[in-house]
Amino acid sequence: MGKYFAVGSITNALKGRDILSGKGIHSYIERTPQGMPGGGCGYSIYVPGDFQTAEKVLDSAGLTGGRKEGNRR
Amino acid sequence: MIYLDNAATTYPKPRPVIDAVTRALRVYGANPGRSGYSMSIATSEEVYRCRTAAAGFFNAPGPECVAFTVNCTNAVNYVLKGLLKPGDHAVVSSLEHNAVMRPLDALREKGVTFTKAEVFPGDNDSTVDSFRKAINGRTKLIICTHASNVWGIRLPVERIAALAHEYGIRMAVDCAQSAGVLPIDINGSGIDYLCAAGHKGLYGPMGTGMLIAPDGGSLATVIEGGTGTQSALSSQPVTMPDRMESGTQNVPGIAGLRAGIEFVKARGIKNINRHEMEIIRYMYDEMSKMKYIRLYTRQPQPEYYVPVLSFNVGSIPSETAGRLFAEKGIAVRAGLHCAPEAHRFMGTQENGAVRVAPSVFTGIGEAKQFLFALGRIARDNH
Repeated sequence: MGKYFAVGSITNALKGRDILSGKGIHSYIERTPQGMPGGGCGYSIYVPGDFQTAEKVLDSAGLTGGRKEGNRR
Repeated sequence: MIYLDNAATTYPKPRPVIDAVTRALRVYGANPGRSGYSMSIATSEEVYRCRTAAAGFFNAPGPECVAFTVNCTNAVNYVLKGLLKPGDHAVVSSLEHNAVMRPLDALREKGVTFTKAEVFPGDNDSTVDSFRKAINGRTKLIICTHASNVWGIRLPVERIAALAHEYGIRMAVDCAQSAGVLPIDINGSGIDYLCAAGHKGLYGPMGTGMLIAPDGGSLATVIEGGTGTQSALSSQPVTMPDRMESGTQNVPGIAGLRAGIEFVKARGIKNINRHEMEIIRYMYDEMSKMKYIRLYTRQPQPEYYVPVLSFNVGSIPSETAGRLFAEKGIAVRAGLHCAPEAHRFMGTQENGAVRVAPSVFTGIGEAKQFLFALGRIARDNH
């Protein structure tokens, strides 16, 4: 099971996806699911695989400052 | 028609730009940054690709620093009205377009003051010194044109930016006439706010512009509204680019702008500049031999000018000369060019001038036809 990283804007989501892709981590952009802590009306990067590495990569890119994680239901 | 009004907007647009706009209307029909279905995401990606292209073109820290505006004037307004508060002071040059001067005039009503620094064409040391002398203890911003839209005079914006930062002052540059014609490096130049038109030297459609700012999030907002994110909040998002982009974006325009940026990159700024400066210098040299033609600058040198040239034809009012050119199928712009300050600088504020500006598509043959027409107009009216 993967994880969502709520990053807010679509620009952040696309940037994050591209950065992860550069590190060989596959991800998808989805609307942040409602019910997720701090979620709703924004975009998330869903990482089906190695989300721990993804988290570090997104953190160092400054994209998860208001990180709200969630699991796909 | 021989089109020499490229300082107003470039025409024609490159084929890839036209194709990109058409394709966007057909394929990218969803509102970007609002939904999660495939066409919305695809449209968002197209907009993001333009942000990335622009960030790379101007060497900005990242795509998030690029906010799309409807034109350069809007971008300038966002900076001036987002940064300057009552009691603040700004420094401008003596060549500014109304895009800078009118918002400042409006801000003057709210207690913002400004000083015009004299420009010395061909003498950058004196120009920089003039800016230094204009700074006072309340100066918060230096904003100036990179190049005059009337006379083509280039300002040493990198040196002025260094001066600004020496005093802890922000630097904004109106790059309406320079983007796509001069190399601009935000990271290397110290420019804090770059305001650019998408539809001039970048060959994008009208209705496009950019504000590129590494710290744009710190600007107060002029327009607030829906941004597609954080809808539950009643306040505008603090992060770029959303902070500066309320409402639906001009997606076909942005798609065309990306194609324009790629076109300029492929041609090479140096090649475009060399070509256009050759045309302008040829025109200048021929015009300087012609009777009745009044030129106001020295022969344009690439280090001090961009390819824009203004002149008058004897005693003919500039608007009349413009009409006479139009009757001969030659498109020029006459009058004050929305830049009365630039005309006051040269003493042409009463009559204005006639302006020509080539594009990458202007050939020497068209320049010759323009000169032939100019000669006829001058002879027939004196």
